[in-house]
Amino acid sequence: MKIPINWLNSLVELPKDIKKLTNDLTMVGHMLDKIEVKNGQTILDLELRGNRADCYSVLGIAREVSTIYGTKLKNIPVEEITKTNKLKDFSLDIQTPLVKRVGMIKIENVKIVKSPSWLSEKLVSYGIESKNNIVDLTNLVMVETGEPMHAFDLDKIGNCLKIRLAKDGEKITTFQDTTLTLTKDDLVWAKKDCILSVAGSIGEKYNSVSDTTKNILLEAANYDRANIRRTVYKHKLLTDAGIRHEKDLDPNMVDFAFSRFLYFIKKYNWGEFKPEIYDYYPKKIVPWKLNLDFEYLKRFSGLDIEINQIKSILTKLNFKIIKLNKDKLTVEIPTYRTDVTLEEDLIEEIVRIYGYDNIPSKTLSLEIPNKITPDYILQEEYLRQTAVSLGFDENISLPFIKEKYKENNVSIVNPPSPDTKYLRSSLFFNLYDTANKIINERGNLVQLFEIGKIYSKEKNIYKEERRVGFIYWSKENNKFIDFKSLVVSFFEAIGFNNIEFINEIISFKFTNSYLLKLSNKQIGFGGKHGSIYYTEIDLDSILGKNDKYKVSLWPSYPPQIEDMTLQIPEKTYVGEVIQSIKSINNLITKIELSNIFENNFTFNIEYQHPDKTLTDSEVKEIRNKILTKLKEKFGISIKE
Amino acid sequence: MLDNGIYMKEDLINLKNQALARISEANNLDELEQIRIDLFGRSGKITLIIKELRNLKPEEKKQIGILINEIKKTLDEFIQTKKNDLKVVIREWFDPTIPAKLKKIGHLHPTSIVISEMVEIFKNLGFSITEGPEIESDRYNFELLNLPKDHPARSLQDVLYIEEPEILLRSHTSSVETRAIEKLKPPFRVVVAGKCYRFESVNATNNAMFYQFQGFALQEGISMADLKGTLFYFVKSYFGEDRKIRFRCKYYPEVEPGVGLDLDCKFCNQKGCAVCKGRGWIEMLGAGMIHPQILKNFGYNPKKISGFAFGMGLDRIVMDRFKIKDIRSLYNGDIKY
Repeated sequence: MKIPINWLNSLVELPKDIKKLTNDLTMVGHMLDKIEVKNGQTILDLELRGNRADCYSVLGIAREVSTIYGTKLKNIPVEEITKTNKLKDFSLDIQTPLVKRVGMIKIENVKIVKSPSWLSEKLVSYGIESKNNIVDLTNLVMVETGEPMHAFDLDKIGNCLKIRLAKDGEKITTFQDTTLTLTKDDLVWAKKDCILSVAGSIGEKYNSVSDTTKNILLEAANYDRANIRRTVYKHKLLTDAGIRHEKDLDPNMVDFAFSRFLYFIKKYNWGEFKPEIYDYYPKKIVPWKLNLDFEYLKRFSGLDIEINQIKSILTKLNFKIIKLNKDKLTVEIPTYRTDVTLEEDLIEEIVRIYGYDNIPSKTLSLEIPNKITPDYILQEEYLRQTAVSLGFDENISLPFIKEKYKENNVSIVNPPSPDTKYLRSSLFFNLYDTANKIINERGNLVQLFEIGKIYSKEKNIYKEERRVGFIYWSKENNKFIDFKSLVVSFFEAIGFNNIEFINEIISFKFTNSYLLKLSNKQIGFGGKHGSIYYTEIDLDSILGKNDKYKVSLWPSYPPQIEDMTLQIPEKTYVGEVIQSIKSINNLITKIELSNIFENNFTFNIEYQHPDKTLTDSEVKEIRNKILTKLKEKFGISIKE
Repeated sequence: MLDNGIYMKEDLINLKNQALARISEANNLDELEQIRIDLFGRSGKITLIIKELRNLKPEEKKQIGILINEIKKTLDEFIQTKKNDLKVVIREWFDPTIPAKLKKIGHLHPTSIVISEMVEIFKNLGFSITEGPEIESDRYNFELLNLPKDHPARSLQDVLYIEEPEILLRSHTSSVETRAIEKLKPPFRVVVAGKCYRFESVNATNNAMFYQFQGFALQEGISMADLKGTLFYFVKSYFGEDRKIRFRCKYYPEVEPGVGLDLDCKFCNQKGCAVCKGRGWIEMLGAGMIHPQILKNFGYNPKKISGFAFGMGLDRIVMDRFKIKDIRSLYNGDIKY
C-alpha cells in the first residue's frame, strides 16, 4: 500500500523521524517495502497484508499509527447524512445474495472540471492518474477510506438498474477500452441488456462520467468477497477497486465514504444533493464480541502482561472492553477489523502492540519427543554419502523432461513453458543431458548420480517412486566393466552383495541393457545409450532391506589361494560360471576374475575353512568337483 | 700370562673408544668402510686380537672372548647407525614437485549440503525428519491449512496443476505439515526439506521449482517464546552468532499469530543497498503459531495443545553460500564440481 506521508499526516500525528515510523510499522505487521520520493513528496510503500482489508487505505494505516503511539486520529471533516430505502424516480433491483450492501445518491447539476492541484497531486502521489474532479474524488475517497466508489452518468443509465449475475457470453467494453466476455458467475450492474459495470472492479466506457456529464449516480457497495475474487482473477481486473473488494471489506465503510465524498462536493460547490443515501443493507453487521482468557494469553505467547497494559492496548486498538474480571475479559471488535474473529487473533493484536521484541526467547524447554525419522530417510542420506565416496557427483534437476523425451508422462495442465510440462518417468533424461553437456565441454569423465522421484499414474492414482540414477562415461576407461565395478561397489557398500545383472531388452533405446535383480525381484535396470552408461535403482524396493553396518573379521586361518585359467566357450555368461563354482562348496570363499585373454579367463580362487588350514588334498578334491561340473554344464576345460 | 690377559682387556677398551671416536667423526661411507676394514678386516685390529686368543688360558680366553663379542657388537651397531645417517645425507635424486594425479572425488550438491547442515542443527533440538508427496491434493496443500478456495492469500501461490483444480504439485512444504498433523501423535517436532513448485517462467531469479525447508512442532505448552528461542538458536547456529535478528509481526494464513524473521543485510552492513532494497534487513523466514483452525481440522483443542511452524526458501541461501548468481544453474547441471 502506497502511503504518501503528507496524506497520512493529515489524519494522524507522526513521529519526526520517518525511519522510526517505518520501523515501528514494520514490527507491528506492515513491513516497509521501500520509500520513494516523488515531486518532493515522501511515499511509503508498505507490504500489503491479505487479511487487513482496512489497511488498504490511508485511514487504516493512520489508525495503526495512532495505536502504536497512543495518539488520537485528527478530526476528518465530513457531511452529515441520513439513510433511506427509496431513491426518488429511481429503482434498483438486486437479485442475488452476493450483494451485501449498496449505497447510492444522485448528485445533480454537477460541474465537471479539471481537478484542483491539491486533489490531483494527492492522487498522483499515490499513483492514480488525474481525470476530472468527480472521478478523482471517487478515487481520493477510496484511497483514504478504503471503500471503492463509482459514479455513473445518470442521464445515460436511465432510472431502472439491476445488480445480477451476467449471462454466459455477455460483453462489456470497459473505460480502459478492453472488451470482456463475461460468464454466469460474474456479478454486474446493468440496465436492461446493457452492462454498466463489473461489480467491484471496473466500469463501462460509455456510461461513466465524462466532460459532458450533468448529473451523476454515485454508488458504494459491498459484495461477496469470494465471488468478486473469482471475477477479478479470471478477467485480470486487478484494479484498485478489485484488489479491495476481493478482501474482507467492512460493509459499514460505505457510510463514511459517502460522508467524506459529499463533504468535498459541498465545500467546492461541485454539485447539488440532498444528504440522504439510498441504503440497501439487508443484514447489518454490528461489532462482535470476543473473550480473552489471560492464562491462555500467557501460555500461548510466553508473555506475562499486566492487566492494565492489556486494557490500555485494547483501548488504543479501539476495541471496547465490555466485561472484565481477574482472569478474563470480553471486548467488542469494531467492524472494520474483519480479521479479528478468534481469541488467537486477539492475542496477536495484544502481542504485536506490546512488542514481538519483548517476547522472551526460550529454547524448547519441554520434554523432548521421541525420534520418529523413518529409516529410509536416514538410509537415503547414507546412499548419497556412499555414491560420493565412489567418486560420483550429485546432480539435482527439475523433475520435468523436455518434450522430445515424453512418452506417457504425467503432465501439467498449465505449464509456464513447454519444458515444465512433462513430469519425468525416469531420472535418465536429465542426467543424460547433463552428461552430454560435460562431454561437449571437453570433460574427460562423467560420473554423476541423482536421487529423486519419478511420477506415474496407475488406475487413477498418482504414484511417486524414489530412485537413484548413475550415469557414466570416460574418455579412457569406457568399458562396461569399469561402470559395473562402481555400481557393484555401491551395492556392496550399502549392504547388498548378491545383486544379479540379467541381460534383457528394455526401453529407452538402450543397447547392452539389463535388469538388476535382488532375490529374484527386479530392483532396477541399466544399459548403454550411445557411449554413455546408465543404471537406475528403485530405492523403495531396497531401502530398509539391507543389513546396515555388517562387519566381518579377518579369518584366523590363512586361505589356500590358486589361479585357475578356464577356456570358456563363446556366449557363456561368466556370472553364471562363477555362480556354479560358488554353489559347489561353501569353503570356496572368493572368486575373482583377474584376467581375460581371448576365451581364456583367469580366476583367482580362495578356499578357506573357518576353523582350520585346509590341506592340499582337501583343496584338490574341491577343485576336481569344480572342473567336473564346469565341463558338464558349460563345456569348460582348464588350461594347463 | 695373567698380566698379558689384563693388558689385553685395557687394550681392548682403548681400542673400542678410539674406534667409536673415529666412527662418529667419519664424513662419508668410504671413510666408514675403511674404519670397518681397519677393525674387522683380515688384518684388522679386532681380528688380530681374536687370533691372539688361543694363547690365553681357558678361563681368560672365555672372559676376553665375551668382552670381544660385546665390543664387536657395539661397534657393528654403531657403524650401521652411522652408515644410515650418512646415507640420508647423500640420498638419491627425488622430485617432490611432480604433479599429482588426482583421484576422482564425488561431491554433494550444494542444496544437499545446506539441507544436511540445517537438519543437523534441528536434530540438536529434538527434531526428527519427515517427508511427503510432491503430487498433492488441494485439500492438503490449501484447504486443511486454513486456505479455503477463493481465500485472498491464495493469489500468493500460483500453482501448477495436474488436474485442475484438485490435483497439483505442492506449492509449499506446508502440505507435509497437514499430513504430519494427521498422521503423527503429539508431542512431535519435525523438519522437512523438499522440492516445491509454482507457476513461474524461468529466469535468473525465479524457477518453476524451488526448495523449501520447513519445521513444525506440536506439543502441550508450546508458546511463541519457544518459537522465538528455536528460530534464534537456528539462525545464530547457521548464520553466525553475531547476526542481528528482527522478529516481527507478519501475516500468513496458516498461523496465528504470525511472525516474519529478518536478518541484518551483510552486503551493506544495514546501510541500505540494492540487495535489501534499502531496508537494511533481509527477509529470511516466515513462522507463527499453528492456526487454531488447522488444529480443529484434525480434532485437537487449540487451548489444550499448541504448536509452531516455520518455513524458508533454500535456494537463496544456497546461492548466497556458494556464490551462485543465477538460480537456474543450481538445477540445470551447470555446476562444475
